[in-house]
Amino acid sequence: MSQRLGFDRVTKVFEGSGNDADFVAFDDITLEAAPSEFLAVVGPSGCGKSTLLRMAAGLTDPTRGKVVLDGKPVREPPPGVIYLFQQYAKSLFAWRTVIDNVMFPVEGAPRARRGELRAQCRDYLRQVGLDGFEDKYPWQLSGGMQQRVAIARALAADPQVLLLDEPFSAVDALTRMELQTLMLQLWERRKFTAILVTHDVEEAIFLADRVAVLGARPTSLKEVIDVGLPRPRDQLTTREDPRFLKLRHHITASLLARNDGHVASA
Amino acid sequence: MSAMDGLAGVREKRSSRRSGPNGMDRRAYGFLLLAVLLSFWELSSRAGWIVSAYWPPVSHIFAAAIAQLAGGEILLALASTLRRAAIGYIAASVAGIVLGIVLARNRVLRYGLLPLIEIVRPMPTPAVIPPLILFLGVDDALKIFIVALASFFPIFSNTFTGVAAIDDTLIQTARTFRTSTVRLLARVVFPATLPAIAAGLRTATSLCLVVAVLSEMIAGSSGIGYYLVETQYAMRPDLMYAAVLYLAATGYALNRIFLALEARMVPWMGRS
Repeated sequence: MSQRLGFDRVTKVFEGSGNDADFVAFDDITLEAAPSEFLAVVGPSGCGKSTLLRMAAGLTDPTRGKVVLDGKPVREPPPGVIYLFQQYAKSLFAWRTVIDNVMFPVEGAPRARRGELRAQCRDYLRQVGLDGFEDKYPWQLSGGMQQRVAIARALAADPQVLLLDEPFSAVDALTRMELQTLMLQLWERRKFTAILVTHDVEEAIFLADRVAVLGARPTSLKEVIDVGLPRPRDQLTTREDPRFLKLRHHITASLLARNDGHVASA
Repeated sequence: MSAMDGLAGVREKRSSRRSGPNGMDRRAYGFLLLAVLLSFWELSSRAGWIVSAYWPPVSHIFAAAIAQLAGGEILLALASTLRRAAIGYIAASVAGIVLGIVLARNRVLRYGLLPLIEIVRPMPTPAVIPPLILFLGVDDALKIFIVALASFFPIFSNTFTGVAAIDDTLIQTARTFRTSTVRLLARVVFPATLPAIAAGLRTATSLCLVVAVLSEMIAGSSGIGYYLVETQYAMRPDLMYAAVLYLAATGYALNRIFLALEARMVPWMGRS
């Protein structure tokens, strides 16, 4: 199968200003997500996970190596690659109602299709459970609902690749689980390629087909783990599955740089 | 945010924090002080505490104000001042908003034009009136230009800093939806900057009236500014004060209208 989105020996260096030394965000990372795959990337905070997604979205260029989308190098934001930000409140358009936020990606379409597209956007809002909130403003909604608006807007853009930048880390624990389940439902329905960046190991295992583990700075790829848990996944049974717990143990130990209980000598 | 839009806001904040008088009472207190001061004025003149031909009792001034209204002269003067102020204000708004957005978003233009703007800005507007008379004469062109020049800076500065303060997440969101530059400016940057633009517009609202009157006083043949100077020369302090009264009322009304418009145009202000 052809790769949908790949990082090919990607290195990102942030140039230091003045006396600051150059900062190597990550070094020589090769990783690819197959079409319709749900790939998670976990790593300690500050390891440059978000930068990886920003490069995939064409928002920033790698210093060396390249990001490849269906065989073509990514230079500017490619069509169909949609980014879901952690800071949903800053990503929504405060002056637009919920429905007009969702309409944003399709507004370039001819006027004749407006009605049809609007109906479609209403349907996306229904899919994320925001039926009846079309005419509210984002600041009138709770955090979890705001992220749902952002998700509906991403759906409206017809994503081939959805980049998830810790999208559920700013909401409360219960809402986070609801949003995770919602994301899985949408992913199973729409079959886009999803790349999730998170520091939450359980979230990565719960959602993903494979989990890529990043090491500490300068960040390199430590290992890629097949999750292999059955789908559809469930917030209770999946998380209680012995295989889930084993994976969690393994990945957490890896992130903490331990070998199953023994403190690494380094 | 500019300093000019603080007055109402400060009052609101205080009242919500303390359990003080409610809205009606607060307003009543304010008017009470006003009434006391006006009575004091009336008394000081009638009782002869201040003996001066230039200090008529305040009741005379109100009488003059009503008489002026009947003559229609004052309304014509006010209208011609407002017309100049409005034209200058609108021109300054267009220029200030467009330049503010473009310069904040375009590095080449910013490097080129910002030094020029920074040099012109601290210049007191009245100082440029005499040299400008040489080029623009003493008619409308001069006064409208002066109004526009003075109004431009608060609008431009607020727009410029407002654009610079937009969170990068918002811009990047639009970019990942492959929004064109023109659409990004019109549909994202402009509305995101509207609260800051509104703050600049409000400062300019009071400024444009001040500068219009000032320019009419220096080089005028009509308008409230000219009327003030004329009545002063004519030793008619009652008419002069009455004109000031009309000016104050106009300024107050403009600000109220602006606040009402702002509440409708920028309902999300301070909410995001």
